[in-house]
This record gives sequence, structure tokens and C-alpha cells, in this order.
Amino acid sequence: MSRGQHQRRLLPAYLATGAGSAPLPSTLDTLTALRASGVPLAAYHTPVHRRVVELVSGGSLTAVEIAAYLSLPASVGLMLAEQLVSDGLLKASVPIPDALAPSRAGRPSLQLMEEVLNGLQSLRVA
Amino acid sequence: MDSSPSASPDPRPVYLPEGDHQRVKILVAGPLGVGKTTAIRTLSQIPTLHTDEVMTDAAAGADDLSFVGLRDKTTTTVAIDFGRLTLPGDRVVLYLYGTPGQRRFLPLWEGIAFGALGALVLVDTRRLDESFEVMDLIEERGLPYAVAVNTFPDSPDYDLEIVRKKLDLAPDTPLVTCDAREMDSSLNSLIALTAHSIASAGVGAS
Repeated sequence: MSRGQHQRRLLPAYLATGAGSAPLPSTLDTLTALRASGVPLAAYHTPVHRRVVELVSGGSLTAVEIAAYLSLPASVGLMLAEQLVSDGLLKASVPIPDALAPSRAGRPSLQLMEEVLNGLQSLRVA
Repeated sequence: MDSSPSASPDPRPVYLPEGDHQRVKILVAGPLGVGKTTAIRTLSQIPTLHTDEVMTDAAAGADDLSFVGLRDKTTTTVAIDFGRLTLPGDRVVLYLYGTPGQRRFLPLWEGIAFGALGALVLVDTRRLDESFEVMDLIEERGLPYAVAVNTFPDSPDYDLEIVRKKLDLAPDTPLVTCDAREMDSSLNSLIALTAHSIASAGVGAS
């Protein structure tokens, strides 16, 4: 499976999640952060599952970053992350904790946007 | 324009800050070659990353991804380039998603646009009309946006009022000039967008 870091993956993306699993609509966002919990892999996990867990064993990354590092489509990265969260191997944290309030449609709050504005202004050199 | 994926992505990931933080998405939209990747690279603190999204023409349930089912479906991949910018204090991490925003990728666009603070639309004065499609898509989603004229060395002289008129922008839509290669210039574009998102919050939204 991994004969070389720079080779194209040999496993088609749509098989990376393992045969027989029934993916549900994802509850994860591409910006959900994930980190390995320390729970060991089981026999039914695929080599790609292993690579995901290893990638986030030293720190947190978002689902979209995991997909990019492993050269997988974003949706496959999400699906893998979802499986591993439900198996207890990854811990997930949502991008914006209070964004699921019905009035907000996932958008950042006014307070958060003001924090963004101040942060961007302080990064300016001139 | 250099939207080709890097030959060997850095195998060592740049992890997120350890403490509690929120992650906010900003779209950088516009036609191919307008400087999206350049702007993202200028602003990003990590090497820019690249992923593809796959769409089948039967954008139905996951069952269609079965081995047999995939064979006779048309598949398209759409590139997403993105970068990351952690704001001072490590409490907010910005993600900049580069997207051409074409209508034929509408299902994908819905997912990309969801939850974003807003969109920075890059335009090239030599081909303003190529930006209409993405601006329409953004407006349909009700996403706040700002327009930045990327100044290329050989772009003709432009008058921002003429650009505003040609793009038929609302009076309150920010229109700025930007050199996507320059940090402060790119930051100023994001600042204009964020200020606009703040101003329009609560005015129009649901």
C-alpha cells in the first residue's frame, strides 16, 4: 500500500473507508479538528485509517487538512474521520462551538468576527 | 497561475494551536488565474495545501459510490487550495479556501460556502466579466463579500468607480485594490471584507 511517500496512492479513494461500511451523512465539518485518542486500531481498520490516526497522533488537524496531507478527496477525509470518531480512535472538536444555533446557519457570531477584525489589523506591518 | 499541486507535500504536518480556539472559514473566490492561490500563499502561515473534491453526476446517496455504481457515472474533480492563518493570541484560526465558484459545481459550492464569514472576490480588470458567475453564486447564498482588484503589472489603468459600475456592485459592497503578493495589501482586503460582514450581520440575515 505505501511503497513510497511520493507515489500516487494505490487504493482508489472510494475504497479507502473499507468495504461494507455504510457511511451516514457526515455530521463533521471540513474544519472539525481531530486528534488521536490513543485507542488502538482494530483488525477491521484499513491502512488508510492507520495513516489518519498516525497523522494526528502528535497534534490536531482539521478534516480538510487530513485529506490534503493524505492526498484524498475532502469528502473521503470526512468519511474516514467520522468512522474513526465513532470508533473512539479520534477526538473531534467543532470549529465554532455555538454556530449551530438555528439563527446562525453556521456563521460566526458578531463577537467572533470582531475578534477576527482586530486580529487581522494587528498583523499589519504598516 | 500555479494551481498545480505541489510535487511532494510536506510530510510533516503543521498542527493547530493546543489551546481552545475557533476556526473560521473565508472564501477567496474568482476565475482561474486571477491570483487566488497567490493571495492564499501570501496570507497563509503554513505551506498551502491542496485537495480535490469528487462529484459524480448522480450526486445522490453514498450507495452510488459502490464499486460497480461508480463505473458508468461521469466524475469531475474540483480543486480546493487552502491556507491557514492563526491570529495573534491563538484564539482564532482562519482558513482561506480558494474556489473558482462555478455554477456547474453547485452542490460542492454549497458545502464550501456553508458557515463562511464571507468571500473575497478577486477580479482582473482585463476580464471583469469572468467574475460575474461567482458573484452571482455568492449573492444567492446571502454571503457577504468584498471585491478586490488584483493589480497585475500589466493591467491597464482602472478607475474604481468604473469597475464598480461595470460589476454592478451594491453601494455598500467594499471595492479595494490589492496586490496579492503583498501581505499588508492582502490583509487590507480581508479587513475590508470582515468589516463588511460585521456591518451586514443582523441587517439582512434570516
